[in-house]
Amino acid sequence: MFFNSIHTRMRVVLVVVLGLLFLIIAKVFYIQIFKYKDLNSLATSLWSRELPITADRGEIRDRNGKVLATNITTTSLVVIPNQINNKEEVATKLAEILNVSYEEMYRHISKKTSIERVHPEGRQLSYEIAEKINNLNYDGVYLVKESKRYYPYGNVLSHVIGYVGIDNQGLSGIELNYDDYLTGENGAIKYFSDGKGNRLDLTEIYEEPQNGINVDLTIDIDLQLSIENELDNVMTKYNPEQALIVAMQPKTGEILAMASRPNFNPNNYQTSSTEVINRNLPIWMTYEPGSTFKIITLAASLEEKTVNLFEDHYYDGGSITVEGARIKCWKAGGHGAETFLQVVENSCNPGFVVMGQKLGAKTLLNYIENFGFGKKTGIDLNGEANGILFPLDKMGPVELATTSFGQGISVTPIQQITAVSAAVNGGTLYQPYIVSKMTEPETDSVIKYNQPKEVRKVISEDTSKMVRHALESVVANGSGKNAYIENYRVGGKTGTAQKVNNGTYMVGNYILSFIGFMPADDPQIVVYVAIDNPKGVTQYGGVVSAPIAKNVLKTAIDLYDFPMTKEGMPREYTWLDTKYTKLPNVVGMTLEEAKKELKGYTIHTSGEGEKVIYQSPEGEYYVPEGSIISLMLSN
Amino acid sequence: MRNKFDYILFFLCIAIATFGLVMIYSASSIWAEYKFHDPYKFVKAQALFFVVGILLMLVLSKVDYHLYFKKANVILLICFLLLVFVLIPGIGTVRNGSRSWFGIGSLGIQPSEFAKLGLIIYVSKYLANNKKNMRDIKKGVFPILTVIFAFFGLIMLEPDFGTAMVIVLTLVVMIFISGVQISFFVKIGCLGLIGIVILILVAPYRMARIVSFLNPWTDPLGSGFQIIQSLYAIGPGGLLGQGFMKSRQKHFYLPEPQTDFIFSIISEEFGFLGVLLVTAAFFFLFYRVLKISLHTTDLFSKYLSFGLIFGILIQASLNLMVVVGLIPVTGVTLPFLSYGGSSLLVSMASIGIILNISRQN
Repeated sequence: MFFNSIHTRMRVVLVVVLGLLFLIIAKVFYIQIFKYKDLNSLATSLWSRELPITADRGEIRDRNGKVLATNITTTSLVVIPNQINNKEEVATKLAEILNVSYEEMYRHISKKTSIERVHPEGRQLSYEIAEKINNLNYDGVYLVKESKRYYPYGNVLSHVIGYVGIDNQGLSGIELNYDDYLTGENGAIKYFSDGKGNRLDLTEIYEEPQNGINVDLTIDIDLQLSIENELDNVMTKYNPEQALIVAMQPKTGEILAMASRPNFNPNNYQTSSTEVINRNLPIWMTYEPGSTFKIITLAASLEEKTVNLFEDHYYDGGSITVEGARIKCWKAGGHGAETFLQVVENSCNPGFVVMGQKLGAKTLLNYIENFGFGKKTGIDLNGEANGILFPLDKMGPVELATTSFGQGISVTPIQQITAVSAAVNGGTLYQPYIVSKMTEPETDSVIKYNQPKEVRKVISEDTSKMVRHALESVVANGSGKNAYIENYRVGGKTGTAQKVNNGTYMVGNYILSFIGFMPADDPQIVVYVAIDNPKGVTQYGGVVSAPIAKNVLKTAIDLYDFPMTKEGMPREYTWLDTKYTKLPNVVGMTLEEAKKELKGYTIHTSGEGEKVIYQSPEGEYYVPEGSIISLMLSN
Repeated sequence: MRNKFDYILFFLCIAIATFGLVMIYSASSIWAEYKFHDPYKFVKAQALFFVVGILLMLVLSKVDYHLYFKKANVILLICFLLLVFVLIPGIGTVRNGSRSWFGIGSLGIQPSEFAKLGLIIYVSKYLANNKKNMRDIKKGVFPILTVIFAFFGLIMLEPDFGTAMVIVLTLVVMIFISGVQISFFVKIGCLGLIGIVILILVAPYRMARIVSFLNPWTDPLGSGFQIIQSLYAIGPGGLLGQGFMKSRQKHFYLPEPQTDFIFSIISEEFGFLGVLLVTAAFFFLFYRVLKISLHTTDLFSKYLSFGLIFGILIQASLNLMVVVGLIPVTGVTLPFLSYGGSSLLVSMASIGIILNISRQN
């Protein structure tokens, strides 16, 4: 009986012990099955050490695949404090090589961390320094590959490309705007380490870095180089405060070239002020456009048929009075009697006031907005400005008048070139863009194309044709003569805008601009040039900016093989100009007849005989007076 | 006397201890190599104790257990003296903050382990002699409780809270078996609870201690360190473990992995399956001996065999509960598996005595 009671209690104890063991098993089950993921990842981060390998950033290339931003491989110093045995010695040597204080270096290599990057002194080391460190052969001192951004063209296109910081992070321009694409994924050599930081002979994992995506621009670096060259010349010649050139393909909105001064070298951006770096003038700067804006008034008037260029006339007496305010023409005494085509050619302000009045404030403003002024164009670059327009309710007769010829409002260069592109391309406004496509780093297969983006149809094809005609006429006969290129068709418009400071116009301080395009019958390129306050030169856009645009267009002729043509408008000459005349065709004539025809030219002959079988240059093209004409003779 | 040797019990014990030996090698070789330039340092010492343990077990299985009944008082006196001596600086040596060792070279003897044996023998005899008095709390229970707490106090002076805990729990459960009214234990339990509440109210930091074992991440480098490292071993072990010798936590993450936390390494290398096998082995050991206890015909051997095996099981349970984070770290080794000569010898001696009891019944 007594035993029974003992046995019962023993069994109770057995059950209790069994319960305890079950509790333990349950807890282990919970730890190993339910908490497995959490604990395993925590433990793995405890065990594993990573030697980072930086990924290459994607390249930035121009439209023809020429590399504008690439990477060079450098090495960086990484230390694993636990693996360094003789800390004093290592600190002394490294401090000496890297030119850092001993205390600083000692702090790095005795830090209580698994891996320490010696920042910034140990970053992006040159080969020589890396070699010196490598030769020391210390345990726990590692050199890891780190790629460094390099811009082979230096200052060229700097505002557009932008630059990166020490960690290869994009800080401005394309580098910033497309940072997510350009940034690759860093790799690592992962290894397992024991509690004292020593490497374990367990599997080592190599995580390959994933290089960033390449970004291809619409920029043509050859054209870009030519505008950079022009800007450099302008800077030396006129010492302006600022200067900029933009070239656009008008039928797509692609930016072909874009540059401004002052600029900076992205390889060495620290030496430039942040103002210079951050201000990409073609999209950031806002100012009164001046006469180049008249193209908008012209296009609106033609589309609304409020004016007939050839049949309507205007008499310019040198000024026009609007609500008691007298608005002067730039030419003292005025242009006299003009057709409206001549109003455009002469850039006659009173004539444009009349055109604006015929349109009315509401209609004009509507066109201005439809051409994209007053708000960002949406180009894929950071730092774009809005520009300022008169709101309709503030637009009285005076404001309407000044707006008509491009005063009292402010626009950005990119708005200006985008709007003019629309005016001459057949009437469609495109959103400007600068990245054409993004490609896979390894295969170069295209991930994403940026297609031209039509914003809206602003004017009709016929109106656009008339605008082109008027602007070609400006270059042939009017204020844009300095942009005329013989045997090619160039259209354009000058602009001279007085700068405003604190609400008043500054004396003798102008922004001289010119916007030109070619071929005038089928525009493939629009070039906008603006020079801010050039010194020692007549302050007219036609004098300063038009020749620059002409040079850029000449480069474009070479680059894009624009064909010569005989259809262009002949140019009106002044006594100052080298006169170009139309060369007669003498092929088929006898030598005697040919000599009579070619009076005033120097004639070189080759071959024997009486008949001209070939002439160079060919007939019907314009050549300078007195040029050498080669004739080939035969019987 | 049937004179039948319990081979199952014998080999079960050998098997568990052999597995322990293997795991001690796996767990300790890294540290041993680092500290002593000899990866076999710990396993060699343990192997020596293992061989001695087997011999001791075989010898004790031949020694008539009635001898302990006769000599119980002498044995207890020796244990008492050893526990007093060990506290004297110069005789006892300090390891891991406790003066609980008699050092013999690099080997050591822990008298508290042997006191456990001596006390189980003494209490068995006391309970067998006073089976009538145990109904009376004053006459039966208080005298033996006084003896137990005297020893408890001595061991706590070292201090070795873990062993003291194991001893008290074992002996109290033996008293429970003897048929003392449940109400007495309920009262003791209530008193204990009130005591704990008062201790917490007096010093609120104790509450933080208790909470810290529930969430070791509140103090990952202090009180939570060991348990976090243990969880980092157990967790990634998963269902089937990292594989033998493939533990990562033994690489200087888990301090002294061959002692109190050897179960973490077992879980890491053999996973949940290994855990099941080890707990099942311990339970089977308990079950097997319990059957012997139930079959004994005299009270002394009944109490003695039960006390000995329960001592092993409660120690194992406490150890496992610490390792998996169910109770705060107490510093109890895992019988047969943890590194430690005294612990192994005492565990194997216990089985030796049980073998003799089994043989005589």
